[in-house]
Amino acid sequence: MDADANRALIAAALARIPGGDRAALQTVYRLTSAKLFGVVLRILGERSAAEDVLQEVYVTVWRRAADFDAGRASPMSWLIAIARNRAIDRLRAQRRSGRMEPIEVAGELADDAIDAGSALEAAHEHARLHRCLGGLAEHERAALRGAFFDGSTYEELAVRMKVPLGTMKSWIRRAMIKLKACLEQ
Amino acid sequence: MSDATDHNALPDDELLAAEFALGVLAEDERAAAARRVARERAFADLVAQWERRLAPWAAEIAEATPHAQVWERIVAQLPSQAAPRPRLWQNLAFWRPFALASGALAAACIGALIYLGSLSHEALLVAELNGNGKHALVATIDPRRSTVLAVPANLAVTGDRVPELWLIVPGKDPRALGVIDAQKPMALPIPAHLMADATTEAALAISLEPPGGSPTGQPTGPVIAVGPLTKL
Repeated sequence: MDADANRALIAAALARIPGGDRAALQTVYRLTSAKLFGVVLRILGERSAAEDVLQEVYVTVWRRAADFDAGRASPMSWLIAIARNRAIDRLRAQRRSGRMEPIEVAGELADDAIDAGSALEAAHEHARLHRCLGGLAEHERAALRGAFFDGSTYEELAVRMKVPLGTMKSWIRRAMIKLKACLEQ
Repeated sequence: MSDATDHNALPDDELLAAEFALGVLAEDERAAAARRVARERAFADLVAQWERRLAPWAAEIAEATPHAQVWERIVAQLPSQAAPRPRLWQNLAFWRPFALASGALAAACIGALIYLGSLSHEALLVAELNGNGKHALVATIDPRRSTVLAVPANLAVTGDRVPELWLIVPGKDPRALGVIDAQKPMALPIPAHLMADATTEAALAISLEPPGGSPTGQPTGPVIAVGPLTKL
């Protein structure tokens, strides 16, 4: 099944959820839970916490499916945003309660090898984003990666990359401006 | 919203939306931004745009299989019975724009209503297809005649694309029902082998395709509206 067909299936299942259709939620779970669990696990780094968050994610999808708008968002970008937001909220709460120190992976923010990519996201969208990220300076790209993949804050990134907080903020803000301009070309 | 002085910069709200979507804000700033997402539609739209820009990056994250118990825990948290939503086509206000529309569209819509009125209600399946915050189309499937009647409402078609209607069945590839007209109601025949799949388990979707319809037999353009099939 290709990516566009998969996207239509997920969108159609999401549309059925507000009517109280549990089978539709199960369809969404079956088609998307491996990707969303990967995203959440990457941010939290620990299976048990990641599974708790994944549970919250799909209960949120059940409650908020009526908000999904196929004309505004792709179903995967909507789902990934819910998963990342839940995971990052959990991460911030953990750091506050001191249960986990910021992961020290100094020097490991370099680009990961690109895997084959998920069939869930259209390959051309990924290729376009990848090309635009490739146009950023290496330190800008590394900072964005740390935020997107690991849920790191400005402060954590500044410590990790050994620059003042203000410098990190301007790196990321400049990178986001460049990224938007490139994606809109 | 105040624009920053540097012409290369993003407006303050958009910058905050980008930071929120990226996930780089510390806990307090993040909570404040989340409250704005919940309350302000314009800000929520900015965040959604950034989420959409960044989401393809997740293709680089390896998938992982959660424990099977996670699904059981999710089911245990669902309410026992969801309240049914009122159906759009039961709302007179929905039909008012059709009555006010001029010329051929109004005539065609009245024709469609007469057509609907000539049918036995219990057999019909109806889907309200929504997209971009709007009611895009109402489709009615008549199993006895093996037809689907597509009545467009706000169906936004851009460029030289045409809207194509799809039958979406869980676990199967989308089935093409044909290209429809963005302006006026159309009745399309449903191939006999697809009628068995036209049930309340299925949904209808509209994608934008090249003139003549999808060249591959599967949706190739963006899905602009979807809606589940329900009994009328």
